Order: sequence, then structure tokens, then C-alpha cells
Amino acid sequence: MFPGVDGFEWTFGHVFFISVFLAVAAALAMVAIVSLARARRDVASGRAEPIRWSSDFAELPSSFRQCRHALTGEAPHRICPNAFDCRLCANHPKFRQARADAGPDLLFGLRYPNHRYYHRGHTWVAPQPDGTLLIGLDAIGHQLIGEPDVAQLPAVGSKVVNNGEGWRMRKDGLEVRVLCPVDGTVLQTGGPEDNWYLRVQPATKPADLRHLLRGEEVRAWVGMEIDRLQGPVMADGGVLVDEFIRELPESRRDEILGEIFLEP
Amino acid sequence: MADATFAPIAAVAPPRDRLLITRGLERCSLPQFAAWLAPWFVMLGVGVYAVYLCLRYGLNETNMDNRFAFGLWIFLDLGIIALGAGAFFSGFLLYILKWRDLKAVINSAVILGFLCYSGAVTVLAIDVGQPLRFWFTFWHPNVHSMLTEVTFCITCYLLVLSLEYVPIVLKNRRLKRNSSFLVFEWELHRLVPVLAGLGTLLSFFHQGSLGGLYGVLRGRPFAYRAGFGIWPSTFFLFILSAIAVGPSFLILVITAVEKVTSKKLVLPEVKMKLGKLSGLLLILYVMFKSIDTLVWLNSTSRQSGFLPWEYYSWKPFGFWVLLSEIVLCGFVPGVLLIRRSTRRRPWILTSAAALACIGILLNRFVLTIQTLALPTLSFDRFVTYFPNWQEFAVFGAVIAYAVIVYSFSYRYLPIFPQEKELNHVSRS
Repeated sequence: MFPGVDGFEWTFGHVFFISVFLAVAAALAMVAIVSLARARRDVASGRAEPIRWSSDFAELPSSFRQCRHALTGEAPHRICPNAFDCRLCANHPKFRQARADAGPDLLFGLRYPNHRYYHRGHTWVAPQPDGTLLIGLDAIGHQLIGEPDVAQLPAVGSKVVNNGEGWRMRKDGLEVRVLCPVDGTVLQTGGPEDNWYLRVQPATKPADLRHLLRGEEVRAWVGMEIDRLQGPVMADGGVLVDEFIRELPESRRDEILGEIFLEP
Repeated sequence: MADATFAPIAAVAPPRDRLLITRGLERCSLPQFAAWLAPWFVMLGVGVYAVYLCLRYGLNETNMDNRFAFGLWIFLDLGIIALGAGAFFSGFLLYILKWRDLKAVINSAVILGFLCYSGAVTVLAIDVGQPLRFWFTFWHPNVHSMLTEVTFCITCYLLVLSLEYVPIVLKNRRLKRNSSFLVFEWELHRLVPVLAGLGTLLSFFHQGSLGGLYGVLRGRPFAYRAGFGIWPSTFFLFILSAIAVGPSFLILVITAVEKVTSKKLVLPEVKMKLGKLSGLLLILYVMFKSIDTLVWLNSTSRQSGFLPWEYYSWKPFGFWVLLSEIVLCGFVPGVLLIRRSTRRRPWILTSAAALACIGILLNRFVLTIQTLALPTLSFDRFVTYFPNWQEFAVFGAVIAYAVIVYSFSYRYLPIFPQEKELNHVSRS
């Protein structure tokens, strides 16, 4: 049929048929090429972590995606439309802004100091006098894991982003990533023995921490998380024991670890 | 999704490959999985040996001959291509018409479509022989043949399905930890509606052309049909029957997987929706098929010099075949699927879906095997054909390949978005 083949002559049929086929093949190739090019651009521009979080967030059960104002009862059943980044939310300023209160640092027998800010991925942020931010695991996260077998921390000088990977931890053969609660640059790394994991220079001065929980929001959220854990861990309504991951049925440890740290 | 709470369950050791398995999904142990796969691998191995024999020594290794150039393999091709139509049709409904309920089954539909089409292309390559000359079909196409359109469309559609399968594979827990894979999956998924549109266009034409292939056979009055322009009625009937049975096949496979794994994978409402859709289309198909059959019996066939009842005097292809195809496996499941009171009962829904699938397979069998068996000239004779072990082995290998790939996909990929929630709730 084609050039180089005996007796070949172009006809309208050939042209039409080949054109349609090539158009379809070109469209398929374009889809693959455009996806690859966009993926390359995303990786180069540091969008990989926001994309990962966006993908993970969409897979979380709705009870894990509740708006902070749903926790306090201001907007019952409201699901967060901004993947826990209240800085992007047009409605957030319209709600009551929670502040650190003067109540006790103990919530349900767990230590949640009032001066800290809390992220839904079970990390806390403590602003320091020099403008840097200390980041660590909150009480539930700490009680769950205890001393991790391995903590893979980012290199000093590397950029971290809000809801991107902060660090990874391994415990008893299980692995989980911990979400970073702020944007910034890692200045120093700690570990479980220091009770903090990262010291970060925030991307803005002063640090924008509007997306983190405070005061009554923390109480409501911790209460919800404790309720969630009632079944497998505290069937008798008791307090969380150290390394309570080991108290869980082995078949469910990985799942619960993922749900607590928002990694579906 | 419903609120999730952690509910206690019996302590069972997690499988050793748990870091490859999506969080929250329970899978059997690795030895159990290996035991499940073992017989399928044996079946695949026997098939691969049969393929070797056919490619090494030619088609005389089979029971096909000059009369039965189309045999079990072409029946298999037509059958699985029709059943695999659930992929393009579900994609069309979800991404183009925005039927969001179908998100629960789209991954499974894509995988099934990929398996059906890749299986069909493989069998075609064995049937045609000379796989090293596969490019001849593209370089020397007969632009007047519907088979050429089928070849081009199936090739393109297999590429579409492969591209649709890639994001599902990249959702694997271990793979998605790699940022490059994750963003590629994300970006590719954004363009899936384009693929769904292309898939619909390609499927529409090749499903139709597969039917047209038989409808244009003037020398085979049993298959020959009148039509519109260059398209015989079978062109349209194949499209309609494929989109009618695609959702039924999805129901059937999902139910089978649920039985094998003892898990709930899809909400009953989603299956009922698929069933209703399948039932409506099936009734429409039965209506047009009946009209087509009446026109053929009373006009087209007579004009060719054949009294229609002659076709059914050759045993075992009696009139019962036609009745089974249109009534038992067409009208009956159609009605069962349309009526809410019947389709809400799982066993009726599944049985009706199975009947619908059998009906379409019977239709493809009749057009492939019965057409070739019947005599068309006065000195011609009725010829029967029965496949030999090599043909059955290749047939079995395609089924085994599909089961193996689907099993791996089910184990390591999040195919059913509702699985976690459904089984979580059931444990509470």
C-alpha cells in the first residue's frame, strides 16, 4: 500500500483512513507527553508534596477531614475544602478565631501545652524568641509510637512545606510519614530524645500559623481523636499507655498508624 | 465516606508483603495468595506451550481448517471484546456524563477492559501467526475491509486502556512514595477524560465493525444482513449489545471477587444502578435484535434464496439457539434487571447479569461457529468443528492471564475505593 510497496497509489480512502488513525495516535501520544512534561515541571517546582497531600487528603474518611470549626460546633458537619490550609479559606476569618486559653495543659490525661500550636497530623509548633519554630510530635502521636526505631529526618537546609513530608518514622517494621505543620527551611534536627524533631526558619516573618489549632479547637480535636481510639485501645475508657501501638491487634496497627498521621 | 472508628477485630498476623498493600485493606497471607495463583499459573504454562506449538508448527496444530478459519479463538476474541465494553462505557458515563457513582467500579472496569483487550490481541496474534510481521496489518491495510478498522481501533484502544491502567498501578503504596510516579499519576489522571472520550470513539467503531464483519458476508446468508448505507444492521447491534452487557459483566466479576475474598467491595446501590442500566440497554437491544431477525427471516434471507427454517434444521443448531439468545438470555434478564423488586435481590441481580453475559457470548458463538458450519451451496455440506487441546489451552491461558493480573491488581492496588469503608463499617 505505502511508498516502496509495489502498485501503491494514494487515494482519498488512504489519506482519510491514515489521517484519522494518526490523529488518534497523536492524541494518545500528546496525553502521555503532556502528563510527563507537567509531572516534570511539578517535581522541579516543588509541587510534588502539595500534590501528594492533596491526593492523600481526598482519600481520608470524611470524619478525618472535618473543618476546625466543625470540631468546635460552629459549623457542624463542615468538611474542610482546603486540605487543612486555612490560610487559603475565604470563610475561616468569618468564624470565631480560637486563642490559646489559660486552661490546664492536660487534656484527657495527655499533655497539650497551651502556648503551642497543633496540626491535625499530630505535631505541635512552638514559636521561639529568635523567630524560629520548634516542631515535635504531640502527646497522642508520642504515646502511639513511643520511641521510634528509626526517624528519617530531612537534611539541614532543606525546604519543608505545610502538609508536606516532615519526617518518616519506623516502629516494629511499620513505617509512617509525619506531616510538616509549617513552610520553612530546616535549621536543626532533633529526635525523640530531645522531645522535638525539627527547628525551622519560617518562610514568612512573622510565621503564618493561622492554619494551626489552638485553645478550644485543640480540646475538641483531642477529644475526637480519643473517641476514635476508644475501641481498640481503651475499651475500658482508660488513658493511653506508652507505645500503645503494641496494644493494638497486629493486623490493624498499620491502618491505625496511617489514620492517626493522616497517611491513607 | 461514613465516619470511621477503630473497631477491635480478631488478631490475625498481617501478610509479609503488607508494605506493598494499601493501608486499611485486609489481604490474605502470602502463602494463601500463592496457593490461589498456583493452578492459574499451571493453566497459563500449558497455554504458553500450546502457543509455542502453534507458532512453531503453524495452525495445523489446531482443528481449524480452510472452512473453519474462524474457531474457538475468534469466538473468544469477540466474546471478551464485548464483555470488556464495560471499560469504555463506564468511563464515558463517569468522565463525560459525570455519573459519579461509577467511581466505585471504574478501576475494576479499566483493568477488566485492559485484560479483555490485551487477551484478545494476543490470541489474534497467535491466530494470524507470524507475529514478527504484525506491522503488515498497518503497512498493507485493506482500506475496504472492516477488519482493518477493527485492527486499527483495537490497537489504539489497547493503548488507551494501557494509559488508563498506568495511574491505577502508580497508586500502589510503594510506588506512590516516589514523587515522580506520584505526580505523573496525578497529571495523567487529570487527562483521563480525554482518554475516556477517545476510548468511546474507538470502541464505538470497532465494536460496530466486528459486527459489520459478519453482516457484510453476502456469501453466508445466515450472517448477511441489510442495513444503512455501508453498515449492516449487525454493526449497530454489536455496539448496543456490548454496551448492554458491559455493566452486567462488571457486576458478575465484582460479585465473584466478593465471594472469593469474602469482602464487600461495592455498595449494593452501585451494582443495582449498573444492573438497571444494563437491563434497559438489554431490552432495547432485544427489541432491535427481534426486528432485525424478523426482517432477516422474512426478507433478506429469502432474497438470497434460503428459507430461514433451513438454517435450524441442522443439529445441534436448532431453533432453540435463537430462542435462548433472544428470550432466555436477552428478554428475561432484561426484565429482571429493569424491575427494582427483582434486581434488589443480590442472587437475582447476579443471575440476570450472568444470563445477559451468556446471551452475548451465545450471539458471538452463533455468528462465528454456526455461520461457518451451515452449507451455503447445493453441493456444500454441514460441517462440524470441535477445538483440540491446543485451542482450549490457549483459551484457558487467556483466562488464567486475566485472573492472575486481576489478582495481583486486587492485592496490591486500591481498586475499590469503597472497600475500606464497607469492611470497616461491617467490623464495627
